[in-house]
Amino acid sequence: MAIQSRDQAEVSAVRRFAPVLAALVGMAVIAIGVVILADRNAATNLLASIYEALGNTQGAADLERGVGDQLLAKVVLGLVALVVGVGGIWMLYIGVSAVVGLLSPRWQGRILPWVFVIPAIGLLTVYLIYPTIGTIVTSFTVQTNGDPLANYKQLATPQFIGIIGNNLIWLVVATGGSVLLGLLIAGMVDRVRREALAKTFIFLPLAISFIGASVIWRFMYEWNPPGQQQIGLVNAVWTGLGFDPVRWVQDQPANTYALILIFVWLQTGFAMVVLSAAIKGVSVEIIEAARLDGANERQLFLRVIVPIIRGSIITVTTTIAIVVLKVFDIIYVMTGGRYGTDVIANRMFIEFYEFFNDGRAAALASVLFLAVVPIMFVNVRNLRRQGVGS
Amino acid sequence: MTRRLWTTSVLVVVVAMLVVACQATQPSPSPSAPAASEAPPASEAPPASEAPGSAAPPTGEALPAVPTGYTELDTALGPDKPYTGKRVTIQTQWIEGEGANFDAAVAPLEEATGIDVVQESIASQHEVVLRTRIGGGTPPDLAMLAQPSAVVEYGSRGETTNVATFMDPAKLGSDFSAGFGTALLSGDNGEIWGIPYKVDVKSTIWYPIKAFEAAGYAVPTTWDELKALSAKIVADGNGSPWCLGILDGAATGWIATDWLEDVMLRTAGIDAYNRWITHDLKFDSPEVRAALEVLAEEWFTDGYVNGGYQAITATDRLESWDPMFQPEPGCWMHRQATWLGPDFFPDVRAGGPGTQSQYVLGEDIGIMYFPQIDPAQGTPGLGAGDTLMVLVDDPDRPEIRAVAEYLATPYGLKAWIDIGSAQSANQTTPAEWYQSYKQQVAADIVGNSTSFGFDASDLMPPEANRAFWDGITAWIDSGGTGTDQFVQSVDAAWPQ
Repeated sequence: MAIQSRDQAEVSAVRRFAPVLAALVGMAVIAIGVVILADRNAATNLLASIYEALGNTQGAADLERGVGDQLLAKVVLGLVALVVGVGGIWMLYIGVSAVVGLLSPRWQGRILPWVFVIPAIGLLTVYLIYPTIGTIVTSFTVQTNGDPLANYKQLATPQFIGIIGNNLIWLVVATGGSVLLGLLIAGMVDRVRREALAKTFIFLPLAISFIGASVIWRFMYEWNPPGQQQIGLVNAVWTGLGFDPVRWVQDQPANTYALILIFVWLQTGFAMVVLSAAIKGVSVEIIEAARLDGANERQLFLRVIVPIIRGSIITVTTTIAIVVLKVFDIIYVMTGGRYGTDVIANRMFIEFYEFFNDGRAAALASVLFLAVVPIMFVNVRNLRRQGVGS
Repeated sequence: MTRRLWTTSVLVVVVAMLVVACQATQPSPSPSAPAASEAPPASEAPPASEAPGSAAPPTGEALPAVPTGYTELDTALGPDKPYTGKRVTIQTQWIEGEGANFDAAVAPLEEATGIDVVQESIASQHEVVLRTRIGGGTPPDLAMLAQPSAVVEYGSRGETTNVATFMDPAKLGSDFSAGFGTALLSGDNGEIWGIPYKVDVKSTIWYPIKAFEAAGYAVPTTWDELKALSAKIVADGNGSPWCLGILDGAATGWIATDWLEDVMLRTAGIDAYNRWITHDLKFDSPEVRAALEVLAEEWFTDGYVNGGYQAITATDRLESWDPMFQPEPGCWMHRQATWLGPDFFPDVRAGGPGTQSQYVLGEDIGIMYFPQIDPAQGTPGLGAGDTLMVLVDDPDRPEIRAVAEYLATPYGLKAWIDIGSAQSANQTTPAEWYQSYKQQVAADIVGNSTSFGFDASDLMPPEANRAFWDGITAWIDSGGTGTDQFVQSVDAAWPQ
């Protein structure tokens, strides 16, 4: 009996101290990681010191000179960051929650939620809230010549009104196009035999980055003088139909819609997948009841299915609308904002990097932020309502 | 659970294999293949396109004689090599061949002083990366930049060093020519925010020599001769006079503005040109409109540009001159600066890096001077160039100053000059260093120039530069009918 109780005491002591140990180890891992990652040449120095330890002095010397296994150095550093970020934080959480577990139940209930939330709030403050406030302050204080609203007043010129107008076209056509096409396809593939295959093809472009898609479409829209061979697919088909080749990227106003098409091509898959899942969730009884009541397929889709999946449609629409408002990559790659295709995000980039107009860039960022907030609000409210409904 | 474990381990193995595979494709740092920065300039193979023997043998010393006129450089070159093992980083936009050329140019300094100059080549978005690094407080020690207006902007923000604090401003002033001198890089209180390094002569037209001979065309020396040649090419049914395509992504427009600048120098003269840069001469002025009319005649006359004027803004700049290389050229002349060369010839592009071009400069492909227009304005030259900025000036790191001072001497570019494809901004550079056909054409243009203008758009405020690019692009698309809109839009975009 005595032996057993001593064992139990040991076990409980281990139980008691293991979490503290885990917390300490977690903190140590994070601290070491921060020290390693804070070095400007962390990647090369880390691998170089590993090479030194392994006796590969040539490799270490190469790395420090800026040549050698630079890629491997970056991969190693990435792994370190992963271990520190995931492992360290994980152990810290386990440890701290166990430490809190040692407290009385009343205090546990009060403290535990904060323990889990504070790191996230801290990071959000540093990386999101502080820069947001900083940007807004910049927009009123930098390059203003004494008039705090100077940067915003410049946005009222015809040039910027045209840019904001382009964003509105994008908002309506790109969002509408993606959601309607997605809904249509989701409704149709619901009844085809090889549904998964059909959906895969629509979904695949989503795996391509905006930059990658833009590069692809630059070739699609390539223009060659009339009479010469058309290398671009779109113009090859177009001239095959007997028309003159069109400079899709340069000629206004068709070019904005040509760029929007790229976005729709990319995002329809996302809308389709979410809406298709929602359609699958509509109970068979309701559909059968509608059929029994004599609804034809169109009525069934528009009057029964669509109202039922309204929540999903709102979520998809608002999510895509936010992406559309922030659209940058496609414009930047395809036209750089030329030929009347400029949008707010691209202009912000140009004002900051090309024109050194930090204040005006901040004003554009603030305007974009303001435009996104209401959509975000609808999106979040809708999600919460759906959560309550289920 | 077991299955998940399997999936995880398979993933780990796949990632590991990918890493190994990526490693395998990286050039291995074997001792037998010295890294580019170590390669002595002599081992650089001259580009095949240069006529055999035209590539200059290294002439004279590879290093400036001490005293060089610069304090830290003298110290660095001292017998005890005080800066051995120190590392200096420099961000450039030069990749592949050009990057290797720069490495070769700093190699003599590295050998003599033990300083390790690490070139950080940024292939695209060099300016954006640089702005981010400077803004983030972690700039490279040195950087090259093509826009003097951006250099001055960094200076006015206190983000780059006034080199006059450690280099003799009088020496800098006399070493660099009026066309690309310290005046372009100066602040309001006499600061000098950068050091001119490499120049390109822009008043050049490339043409196929053999096809010219076969068709009996002579190289035009006046604008009237050029106009007659254009008309004759079209009348002969030999295609179009001009290979012209300005499509260049976010930078579309600069090739057309270069044209206008060259014409402005020839019709309005250097004084008006310089007033134009500072906006004392508006875009909406008789001078600019007259220059646009000169351009319109060559660009918008039916059949004068390959593919028609609509092709100008829709043809990739790097492919625009390909028809010139056909046995029967589709177009005959291509106006572009001297940085162009065999690296951009269609056969090298098709063959990938390392391919030797079958076309020889001076035999197959020639370079002529963009002709005089108004004899009253003489024979002007247009140029542009790269500026060195000293972004880190730390008393504990004098080696940075030493490298900057070395690059300010003609020797800082010598190996690149010897390869046959660079011109130094430093006018004390010995003339005999320039041996290749291209360098001699460029040197002749500079030597014969009655005035020399620096690329106007690179000196205008960035907003105006951008409006200039966008405006001229739209003007081309309008077939020359949108002149009012063009000149007024640039004037309106000028910062107050």
